[in-house]
Amino acid sequence: MFMKIPSLKSVTKKIEITNLADPELFYVPLKSYFGEMKPLVNVGQKVQQQLPLAKGKDGSLVHAPVSGEVVDLSYQINGLPHLLIQNDFANTVYINKEIESASAIADKIRLAGIAGSGGAGFPTHIKYDANQIETLIINGVECEPYLTADYALMSDEPEKILRAAHIAAKLFGAKNIVIALEKQNRELVKVFQSCIDFSDDISFKLLPNTYPQGGELQLIKAVTGKEIPKGSIPANEGVVVSNVGTLWAIYNAVENGKANTERIVTVSGTGAKKYGNFRVKIGTSVSHILNQLGIDLNQTDVVLGGPMMGNIVSDLKQPITKTSGGVLSFKKSETKENNCIQCSYCADACPQHLMPMQYASAKFDNDTKKYVQFNLSDCIECGACQYICPSNVPLMQSISEGKSLLKSLQNSVAI
Amino acid sequence: MSKASTYKAPIVTSKLRVSGVMLDVIIAMLPLVFFSYLAHGKYSMMVIGTAIGSALITDWLASWFFLKKTNSPLDGSAIITATLMAFTLSPYTPLYMVAFGGAMAVLFGKILWGGVGKNRFNPALVGREFMVAFFPVVMTSASVWTAGSYTVVNQLHPFSVFGQGEIINYLNATFYNTNGALGEYSILFLALGGIYLVARRRIGWQIPTGLLVTFFALSLWFQDSISNYSIAGVLLGAIFMATDMPSSPNSNSGKLFYGMMIGAVAIMCLAGGIKHEYMSYSILILNGFSSKINEIFIPRSWGRSTDLPLRVKQTVLITLQIITVSLAVLGLNYYGYIHYLVFVYLAYMIFNFHFFTQQKLQDPI
Repeated sequence: MFMKIPSLKSVTKKIEITNLADPELFYVPLKSYFGEMKPLVNVGQKVQQQLPLAKGKDGSLVHAPVSGEVVDLSYQINGLPHLLIQNDFANTVYINKEIESASAIADKIRLAGIAGSGGAGFPTHIKYDANQIETLIINGVECEPYLTADYALMSDEPEKILRAAHIAAKLFGAKNIVIALEKQNRELVKVFQSCIDFSDDISFKLLPNTYPQGGELQLIKAVTGKEIPKGSIPANEGVVVSNVGTLWAIYNAVENGKANTERIVTVSGTGAKKYGNFRVKIGTSVSHILNQLGIDLNQTDVVLGGPMMGNIVSDLKQPITKTSGGVLSFKKSETKENNCIQCSYCADACPQHLMPMQYASAKFDNDTKKYVQFNLSDCIECGACQYICPSNVPLMQSISEGKSLLKSLQNSVAI
Repeated sequence: MSKASTYKAPIVTSKLRVSGVMLDVIIAMLPLVFFSYLAHGKYSMMVIGTAIGSALITDWLASWFFLKKTNSPLDGSAIITATLMAFTLSPYTPLYMVAFGGAMAVLFGKILWGGVGKNRFNPALVGREFMVAFFPVVMTSASVWTAGSYTVVNQLHPFSVFGQGEIINYLNATFYNTNGALGEYSILFLALGGIYLVARRRIGWQIPTGLLVTFFALSLWFQDSISNYSIAGVLLGAIFMATDMPSSPNSNSGKLFYGMMIGAVAIMCLAGGIKHEYMSYSILILNGFSSKINEIFIPRSWGRSTDLPLRVKQTVLITLQIITVSLAVLGLNYYGYIHYLVFVYLAYMIFNFHFFTQQKLQDPI
């Protein structure tokens, strides 16, 4: 059974998207879904906005968010390399002829460096390399509390999303387009219906305001009735799910020839003093955003992403990536850990039907077999178990440790 | 992302705390405490009060001494354990025995396992069985039940406004009667307490439903070969005892199997001539199988399928094991050695605490 979590979105829901001043220094993350990316530029090189900066093994690209000078190629933040660009504030734009001249839509998407904006950042050109697709699901179910970045896009720029949905549906021949929304956002139905690009092949699916309703597997079940296991490819079942943010980026690439160098970020949280949905360039540091908004960094914990699945920021230089939907600050609070009382609420809350308390006992008993026995690999790390736990048992910690343990075991077997 | 940063998410958590869970159980028990007062007045209150006082003091002292924790009486679990234990007793039980039971319930039922949540057996029933083992003459004789006949209110007739007759009399009796143990005076409020706890999701419906359906179906089947039982006692066991979170399984299918097996073993106990302890024994036997049930009744992961032949095989095997253990208990009971089980448990708990539990006091699970 999915949980109801207070959505806490009303603070930013009605705020229109606005721009945020650019920082002097950008930290462009050199990581795609399939690993580290190789720089295509050198230190000292002058770059224009939109110039490709680095390429991944799978063809993923990342582009210069602004014009300026490359000052470092492997600046480490939390163990990941970042490419540093000194902003010259000239805003000269590299005209990316490649994107415009590419004949195939799929190539445009790849050249524009588009990755799924909702969660894992899977390269869109690989996801869209599909055929015999029945349904394209537009994921407008932003089930993380506080976040309204997707909502803001849907209410401010719905025609772009619809346009991109038609482009995508045509690309892999999807017959239906389903816009999935939470019931609390049902006013968006009218917003979409009033668009010029609205057509008969588009339908809506209104879903309960529960968590994690926007998870890909849970969404596919809710819309198509198909329950597919973690690790399987939805396209094989005739379904493609795309986030509204991804579609927005596709529109910019296909219609305007623009690379994916910005996204919408919600700034909110109990520790925030100013709120809003901002258009932020990839590589903008968290500290810059918070400084711009006058938020005191000493008294808050900062989360990059949503409060359920996002990361507590340990280094404030950590930048906005293609997948960060929010910068949230919370008043620092101490949580006390108590004994597990075996209430099973974690198991009730788990959308994947797992028994998270068993992972905690696996961790504390050093019982690796238990992780496998209780299907840890099916966990989508949504955090629902940790949210509901009345004792603050470190469930997510044990899950995360268990997963790295299993990974290292697999690797050692492979060698 | 660095590991340290992924650990702390999610940063928002629900407001629910352990004390909130415990509070709901206390709310569900309160009407029963009230009816026990109506039935036997100060005698009931003395037994329940003594049990709670003894359990709280033991909890505070023993947690401090063995677990190095001082705030554990605040979580409410000792109050629940003590009240539930008192619910199984006669209102005329000598108070020193009640105090002993309350202390043993907390010490050997909870603290020596490592504290709240870590116990493998229902602590209230552990306390009760300690009383039976150490004071067998009093606890198993009929005299403790007839030692007094003080009642505040003899009968209540709330259903008589609807008319008269057999059914109305029966309904009045389910609302209130003065027979049996302290928690058994209102079948209606036992059931309502259960409904409240299910509605608040403090217990799953699977355990009481599985238990009651199995128990009553089998009791009809074996009508001729089982001795008398108390419906209120079975309800008390099904709703408040078998559902103890730490000592019952975690998955829904596991809970259903566990409940059904308690029902079946209780009937076995009745058929085997166990007069008072049939619910107690059946629940304690199944407590012992809870972790094994967890390992068999693993829920089907999203999008995957269950290995049905394996599940059937494991279920048959564990059922056979449960039956074997139950027969062994029946045998011990028949030859009058059953109280030695409590002494074995006592020794095991000391051994287990010294060599295992003590090393894991800081672990939350």
